[in-house]
Amino acid sequence: MPPTEDAASRLPLAGIRVIDAATVIAAPYSASILGEFGAEVLKVENPHGGDPMRQFGTPTKRKDTLAWLSEARNKKSVTLDLHLPEGVDLFKGLIEKSDVLCENFRPGTLEKWGLGWEVLRQINPRLIMLRVTGYGQTGPYRDRPGFARVAHAVGGIAFLAGMPRGTPVTPGSTTLGDYLTGLYGCLGILMALRHRDRTGQGQYIDAALYESVFRCTDELAPAYGMFGRVRERHGPTHNDFACPHGHFPTKDDGKWVAISCVTDKLFERLTTAMGRPELAAPHVYGDQKTRLENRHDVNEIVRDWCGSLHRDEILDRCFAAGAPAGPLNSIADIFGDRQFHARRNLVAIDEPDIGETVIVPSVLPRLSLTPGRIRHLGPRLGQHTDEVLSDLLGLDASAIDDLRRKRVI
Amino acid sequence: MAGEPSSTKDVRQQAEVTGGASDGPTAASPTSSEEEHENSLGGSRLPMSGLRVIDVGTFLAGPYAASILGEFGAEVLKVEHPVAGDPMRRFGTASKRHDATLAWLSEGRNRKSVTLDLRQREGVELFLKLVAKSDVLIENFRPGTMEEWGLGWEELRQANRGLVMLRVSGYGQSGPYRRRSGFAHIAHGFAGLSYLAGFPGETPVVPGTVPLGDYLSSLYGAIGILLALRHREVSGEGQIIDIGIYEAVFRQMDEIAAAYGLFGKVREREGAGSFVAVPHGHFRTVDDKWVAIACTTDRMFERFAAVMGRPELAAADRYGNQRQRLAAREEVNRLVIEWVGSLTREQVMRRCVDGEVPVGKLNSIADIFEDEHFQARGNLARLCEEGLGEVVIPGVVPTLSETPGRISNLGPPLGNATYEILRELLGIPAQEIRRLRQRRII
Repeated sequence: MPPTEDAASRLPLAGIRVIDAATVIAAPYSASILGEFGAEVLKVENPHGGDPMRQFGTPTKRKDTLAWLSEARNKKSVTLDLHLPEGVDLFKGLIEKSDVLCENFRPGTLEKWGLGWEVLRQINPRLIMLRVTGYGQTGPYRDRPGFARVAHAVGGIAFLAGMPRGTPVTPGSTTLGDYLTGLYGCLGILMALRHRDRTGQGQYIDAALYESVFRCTDELAPAYGMFGRVRERHGPTHNDFACPHGHFPTKDDGKWVAISCVTDKLFERLTTAMGRPELAAPHVYGDQKTRLENRHDVNEIVRDWCGSLHRDEILDRCFAAGAPAGPLNSIADIFGDRQFHARRNLVAIDEPDIGETVIVPSVLPRLSLTPGRIRHLGPRLGQHTDEVLSDLLGLDASAIDDLRRKRVI
Repeated sequence: MAGEPSSTKDVRQQAEVTGGASDGPTAASPTSSEEEHENSLGGSRLPMSGLRVIDVGTFLAGPYAASILGEFGAEVLKVEHPVAGDPMRRFGTASKRHDATLAWLSEGRNRKSVTLDLRQREGVELFLKLVAKSDVLIENFRPGTMEEWGLGWEELRQANRGLVMLRVSGYGQSGPYRRRSGFAHIAHGFAGLSYLAGFPGETPVVPGTVPLGDYLSSLYGAIGILLALRHREVSGEGQIIDIGIYEAVFRQMDEIAAAYGLFGKVREREGAGSFVAVPHGHFRTVDDKWVAIACTTDRMFERFAAVMGRPELAAADRYGNQRQRLAAREEVNRLVIEWVGSLTREQVMRRCVDGEVPVGKLNSIADIFEDEHFQARGNLARLCEEGLGEVVIPGVVPTLSETPGRISNLGPPLGNATYEILRELLGIPAQEIRRLRQRRII
């Protein structure tokens, strides 16, 4: 059952209006989270095809792809051609009545349309603007096009995924950098709103895809800075800091487990699970330093043990002993998993005009008192144009028809 | 509850750290004394100033949320065991300071360390007093642990009705696996990310060796805290944010769930490529280095074909359309491999950048230190501490134009603020603090 309006008005961002004039995932994801927690999100799209995200990935009967349906959740679609002066004027009208703007045009594009920060700020001094680009609004690479794949490379994690000296592979997903940047962008917006509540002053957030990736690289920078150490690819096991720590094949073909003994106590529990408690003795492998020095032997012992058992046997024994282990799940494994079900990480949503149920990841983070919600999936292009132009900007039906004839909307 | 006072030395570091951009309106000149003055006042003007955060977590999943709040003005008290401290202090590469690895120095930034033994009754009582004077509590014990110590939600709420509590654990506070121990690399596996890193049918590799799940769960945690603080301003009520590390990883998996749900499609490992676009992957240059090229749209492929000197490849009857390229994936990739393989990394970069093709070096950390853009944006913050020399750590993200964050100190020595906090915040007499220390409660 959908939450009542009463419950929705109690959400932390009720009353906040967000314009999402961005494309694909990164900045739009910031807006998605705000929408899940009560903000009204207007997705401003060009009238000729809209956000290219509508075409990325697997199409549905409605043409819009699954990724669009999932990630444009809760948004209202408003078409507006910003290349036309009338489109720019309408956009300014929307800015006047909004709190947040998310955009990810290449630096200089909005300025070219007469919609730069200085202009927008004059229209609405309380505006908070999230600007996402591949490289940020400043610096020598600012004009280069950027995508998450490139951000993973520039930010240093693509170099680290793959077999030692082998081809660097995609680090599991081609869109990590987009989501990470969406998260940092959302954080920036929330902090800026807090500052605005106190001072009345808006500001902009300058986010770069590569920076979000680079920020998540633990001791990579200080270790190079201090000792000149360049981390390389490690294949399935990463033993710079801990051992055993990696992926191990099981007796079941194609099924792997991850084991991660970051402390001595956890290794002790693993040896209990293996029925080899003697390995955790101080003069054997009880100490992280000793294990790291003998990583090949330790990994071999763990690999032999894992290879002799079915995946579920390994996991059962590890869990009984409190040892840190888990399966390498495929999406099929995930759909069958009890924990995903119990936590309702997957929600099924019926969209009348798709005629099928779409399963999407549910809202994160999970708040006890004011949980977020998904009211509907990604809208059809221009679905809410009339509503927004008439309710918010006070245009009458003939004015809207006129704009449509001129292809402004 | 004013923010941390900043010493002159802090201000200098802060200017270096926040003064990233050289040619943009955000540029804070590190040398201008006026800017320094601004910054020294800045602590109280930051968006999270006046907020006190207790970080009683270990390692990174959860604590990183406290780091971000600290960068933007919150006072962060790291509550640690009096003898052992946060195990993060021993994780990774050792520094010259005996209680600090490099990871601790970097990710323990902007904290004050307060020791407290929560396994002793008096430790629990002191903890509740701290909670009463704080706004946010961050923890990542195995679910049930805090309850065993008499620090469950009811007790905490009684001490502070407005408390916002972030709980991060491997699998969350509910569900059948809640008691299992979880770390980032296990969460990467459980959430389906690790399954996808590697070549088809071959060994799944670690997706980049960094603990993404720890950072991701903390980012969601920080967002949850900010949302909950906003609600608290209206209602006076605190609440709990409950995050499983695996959930934070799973949320990043674009359409994978929807595509399996609707079409039964199981995504598999794809090596260096992508299932949605071609060419979209990593390619080796003649000098044995790597570049990433991402032609997400037809227009980008058209530009790339021109850059390769083969504009005819983008014709409508060849590979002009993404569908055609996906169908002829091997052939298109072969052409790219040959072209990239005939040039040095610098040559490929220059031609692609000039032709506006999305391209990037696969940077090692050595490349990153040399990169002019990282320098210009201030992404490498350099902090000096006596006895340690210079420590280079990632700068503050995100960049806010009016209220940029700052790094006031590296991960502190164990218990460096215990006395200050107990004496000044809780008003405990010096003699009593001595007794607590003797009994190893602090």
